[in-house]
Amino acid sequence: MKHSIGRLLGAGALSLFSLAAQAQDIKLGFNGDMSASPSALSGQAATLGLQAAIDDVNAAGGVLGRKLTLVIRDDLSQPPKSIQNMSDLIDNERVVAVFGPTNSGNALAWKQVPNQKKIPVIGTVGSGTAITSPVSAGADNYMFRISMVDRDQVSGLMAYVKKNPAVKNVGYLSETTGYGQGGLKDMQELGDVEGLKPVCNEKFGVNDTDMTSQLNKCKAAGVDTLVVWAQGTPLGQLMRSMEKINYFPLTLMTWAADNQSFYEAAGKALAEKPIFMRTVTEERTAKQQKLYDRIAPKMTSASAFGFAAHSYDAVMVLASAIKQANSTEGSKIREALENLQMPYDGMMKSYDKPFSKTEHEALRSKDYKWTHWQDGKLLPYSDQVIKSLTDADYKK
Amino acid sequence: MRFLHPIIVVAVSIGAAALAAVIGNDYYLRIAFMMCVYYLCAAGMNVLVGYAGQKSLGQAGLFAAGAYGAALLSTNFDLSPWVALAASAVIAGLCGVLIAWPSLRVRGPYLAMVTLAFGIVVEKLVSEWTEVFGGAQGILGIKPLALAGVPFANLQWVWFGIVLAAITHLLLRNLLSGRFGRAFLSLQADEIAAESIGVSVYRYKILAFVIAAVMCGVAGAMVAQQNQYLNSDFISFQLSIFILLLVLFGGSGSLYGPLIGAVSLTLIDALLARWPPVQHFAYGGLLLFALYAMPNGVAGLFGRFFARKTVLEPVPAAQKQSTTTPIRHDENRSNPLLEVASVSKNFGGVRPANDVTFRLQHGHVHALIGPNGAGKSTMINMISGVLTPSSGRIAFLGNEIGGLESHGICRRGVGRTFQNLRLFASLSVLENVLLGQHCRMKNGFWSSLLALPQARREEAAANARATAILDTLGLRELAQVPAGSLPYGLQRRVELARALATEPQLLLLDEPAAGLNPQETAELGKLIVQISKLGVTILMVEHHMDLVMSISDHVIVLDYGIKIAEGAPSVVQCDKRVIEAYLGAEAA
Amino acid sequence: MLIALLQAVASGLAVGGAYALIALGFSITFTTTKTLNFSHGDFVSVGSFVGVTVLWLLLGKPINAPLVGVTLSVWQQLLAAVVTVVVIGLIGVMLYYLAVKPFAGKPGMSWVMSTIGFGIILTSLGLAVWGPSQIVVPSPVGDDVIRIAGVGIRPQEILMFIVAIVIMGALDWVMQKTIIGKAMRAVAHDQRVASLMGINVTAVMVGAFFLSSALAGLSGFLIAPIASASLYVGLSIALKGFSGAIIGGLSNPRGCVLGGFALGLLESLVNLWQAQWREIVVFLLVILVLAVRPHGLLGLRTVEKV
Repeated sequence: MKHSIGRLLGAGALSLFSLAAQAQDIKLGFNGDMSASPSALSGQAATLGLQAAIDDVNAAGGVLGRKLTLVIRDDLSQPPKSIQNMSDLIDNERVVAVFGPTNSGNALAWKQVPNQKKIPVIGTVGSGTAITSPVSAGADNYMFRISMVDRDQVSGLMAYVKKNPAVKNVGYLSETTGYGQGGLKDMQELGDVEGLKPVCNEKFGVNDTDMTSQLNKCKAAGVDTLVVWAQGTPLGQLMRSMEKINYFPLTLMTWAADNQSFYEAAGKALAEKPIFMRTVTEERTAKQQKLYDRIAPKMTSASAFGFAAHSYDAVMVLASAIKQANSTEGSKIREALENLQMPYDGMMKSYDKPFSKTEHEALRSKDYKWTHWQDGKLLPYSDQVIKSLTDADYKK
Repeated sequence: MRFLHPIIVVAVSIGAAALAAVIGNDYYLRIAFMMCVYYLCAAGMNVLVGYAGQKSLGQAGLFAAGAYGAALLSTNFDLSPWVALAASAVIAGLCGVLIAWPSLRVRGPYLAMVTLAFGIVVEKLVSEWTEVFGGAQGILGIKPLALAGVPFANLQWVWFGIVLAAITHLLLRNLLSGRFGRAFLSLQADEIAAESIGVSVYRYKILAFVIAAVMCGVAGAMVAQQNQYLNSDFISFQLSIFILLLVLFGGSGSLYGPLIGAVSLTLIDALLARWPPVQHFAYGGLLLFALYAMPNGVAGLFGRFFARKTVLEPVPAAQKQSTTTPIRHDENRSNPLLEVASVSKNFGGVRPANDVTFRLQHGHVHALIGPNGAGKSTMINMISGVLTPSSGRIAFLGNEIGGLESHGICRRGVGRTFQNLRLFASLSVLENVLLGQHCRMKNGFWSSLLALPQARREEAAANARATAILDTLGLRELAQVPAGSLPYGLQRRVELARALATEPQLLLLDEPAAGLNPQETAELGKLIVQISKLGVTILMVEHHMDLVMSISDHVIVLDYGIKIAEGAPSVVQCDKRVIEAYLGAEAA
Repeated sequence: MLIALLQAVASGLAVGGAYALIALGFSITFTTTKTLNFSHGDFVSVGSFVGVTVLWLLLGKPINAPLVGVTLSVWQQLLAAVVTVVVIGLIGVMLYYLAVKPFAGKPGMSWVMSTIGFGIILTSLGLAVWGPSQIVVPSPVGDDVIRIAGVGIRPQEILMFIVAIVIMGALDWVMQKTIIGKAMRAVAHDQRVASLMGINVTAVMVGAFFLSSALAGLSGFLIAPIASASLYVGLSIALKGFSGAIIGGLSNPRGCVLGGFALGLLESLVNLWQAQWREIVVFLLVILVLAVRPHGLLGLRTVEKV
């Protein structure tokens, strides 16, 4: 009798313990577009990167003795849904941190939620500049990012335009989405700082196939350099429209030009014309190559790999912060992130104190690489102007 | 007894509020808040789509009007959020008028397109005009509602939402269960008939749009203020579809449909979020399945419980009055009631009326006869306002009515029935007759909305009069039966009852005996004489010569749009030209 | 600036061809069944993907493989076109039985929502098979810019234009001159009477949906080389096509086609002014046209006898 009671108690204790152990899993959330628009490609790539990193961390023993799990929510690129998901993840699922969004506009919509509830967010896709700005001056800021920052991209492009002696008349082209208009705003502000006056400022729709009218206007205004802010496919259509009217000004684009959709839409010859900046190049480091090979079979678009790499690093940095804080409490993690002691040799770069109280961006202009297409590959691009660029040229 | 329903509503609201207070989880509170917001949208749209039958696809634009109104007023003009909320309702209402105006004359898919275009114009306007609306960057720091300086937390927002929802429900219930609800339903059933009984179709369409607009606008303002941020991505075609779905899923045209729709769809939406891969598919499947299984929505499924009830009040014997209450008596009864002077009508090359002149005397039974295609219905249509005369005068009680709208002419005292029966088929017999009383009831919009004593009095009086008419025509037992399900002869009687309920001085009957057998025709004759004895002047278009000859005091004969004879029945019967017109030259 | 204007006209007519084909699709179902396929756009998107899938199968490539630099024979392209037309047409028949027939004729908006629901399911299936990527499709008539009087046009755009005109002409002839066309118009007027006259009403309606959807599929197939195959562009193109149909008059197939072309031209010309106001101009115009002429510019007014 005693024996069986003992066994029963033992089994009960064991199951309770394992239940408790399961309940001890650290939940991480992802809130982004997984299906409702072409941004879904980045969302899917990001989750692959997140999961790969989580698997690696768990294999090495987890964080604070607990395993990490990923809870995914699809926001269908809609702000109300994105807000609801944020609440779901934070209030319901009780995640310790959130990664996302894919659409910058959505982050602006729910920014105050993680700031209020003190849950850190590390963005790995959306590049809208305003995402990481604090809710009010001097307040604790829970938004971090390891990804491209639009403003820094623009800064690089503007610096190039300013320093290039061959540029006489510059023109701006942007798509009418939030992404395009946000970029245009940065372009105009930084252009003013650099003292650049655009002679032409045209817009087009993200699904447009013919921009010849807008290009003709630029041509008539004498534009010899175009700075364009749009996503992959419209960028490709723009190049094709240029071909139609045989007008090829020097063209600087967003990082979306690294997308397979741009290369295919523009075609081999046209794709080689513009230059842009990226966070990764095809000349992958060994680390990047390993991750690439690992997730390649599941990736729907190879050119979205950058997001997977950002996400991998984001998990690692977060794990390091949790370890440092020795707690899963939001404010403690934030403090740890802002003062990360342990350097981390990541996918994108070596992170040594990547964040601070005032700096919430891990990747800045100097981390970006000038790129262009050549023979179907994304290769580093360099010319006299780029060689002459110094840190001082990158205006804020 | 009258207060039972409001008490239940208050009790349920308090219960819901208490439940919300117990649930600490912000996520559930947000969902509850969204339920209230969507209920407001759905309740408003229900009036427009379910009652007035206007297929609208531009709700997102109205939502935007309220949301951006509140956002801009409180951030740019530093107005108190309460004032901003109230103002946004007004702004949205104005937008409702804006979208209604081009929608008045269009129908079906064209109406859907106009409203859809409106929604898209607003959507693009708030995304492109970034200087004012902020585009996709949006407007930050929208002031939330606050009490005593403390901004609302999620719980207070839920309470506020519940209060608004309860008030909306009670007010709309008042409005829709009476004269206005019936008027909206008549728009959906038959616009021309609605006009003929005194419902101004344009005015009521605009009203329906405004109600929907105000509700969607308030909902939008609440979302903007609760979230304290708004950008153009909140406004999309998907939102319009979702709001429409709330109405259809819950049960379009039912009082509780919006509530069911808002609660269930918000819940389903939140639940599906847990399975991202299946989300889309489930949504589409839900749409199809829901429509299959429940074509009238969930409320339709529980039909009897949620059905509209029209109460038939038994009329005390002492109060039994004549079917027509005292008519405004013209002092000078020697003047003709109706004077048609040299009226002509052209339709391109066809002239159904060519310089026709005649007079109608008070209290007489007149008949308008002639071979097919003579222009008789055209004349009736011109007198009742369905058509406008190309030239000439039509004067009723000395006042010019040629070219006026039908509902105005009805108000002045001209009632009519139609050759091709135009009943409100889905409404009950009593509701049809009550609609006839529409222009005689004096309770206006606010009176009906707030269920003031005047409204209740008018409704009761109308009910009594309608019941009396039903009694006279022997239709009392059929009061709750849908009018369209009755046999043909009874339907004609219902249409007559409806026309009588408009308390006309002149009653136009367009082939009232069509399709009736000889016995029914004779009964109809007796009825017409009875009505005439009560002081109603009759003008009937008829082909049944026995009926015409037996009961008419005066006969007018048309042929190819020209009046060829006029006078007492016996005189007209022998007129050579009349015989020629009907039987051909040889018979004369 | 004249060159720019001419270019705008050329581009406008090209994209107008796409709108015209889609507008025709709407007109066909509306005139025969008094319903519209609110998921027409999804049919266009899926059509472009079906076409590409046939090409992948013919070339032995896996799904989503890039087709850059691949040359295809005319027969392969033609086969892809035919398969697309037939498959999407059959999906249209399915739509009729599942989403339209049970609800058509009933008052209310059931058929609107059911067609939308069908469209959502269709795109979810598409998403599961092809994913969210945009696929660039090679053009059957080559891709080199043709220059006429300083204006650049791509051969695919010319093809689209020609196809739109040819189909409009063919449909016009069928509707006016053949017995099938008369039968379709009879069914549109009064189903019961048409049936009494011996017309198989169901067959006519099924045929109408097959034809309309087949047109959508063809539009998708022709648009894909210009705009790339994507599940997300369907809605906006369909909306523009629908607007063109409305402006021209839903009940008049010729009006629909003209409306589609007019819309394309208008868009292109507004681009010369301020591209971001394009949609606002177009849809304000729609509202204006309908406010003044509730049945579209060339639509037939049915006069009711009261």
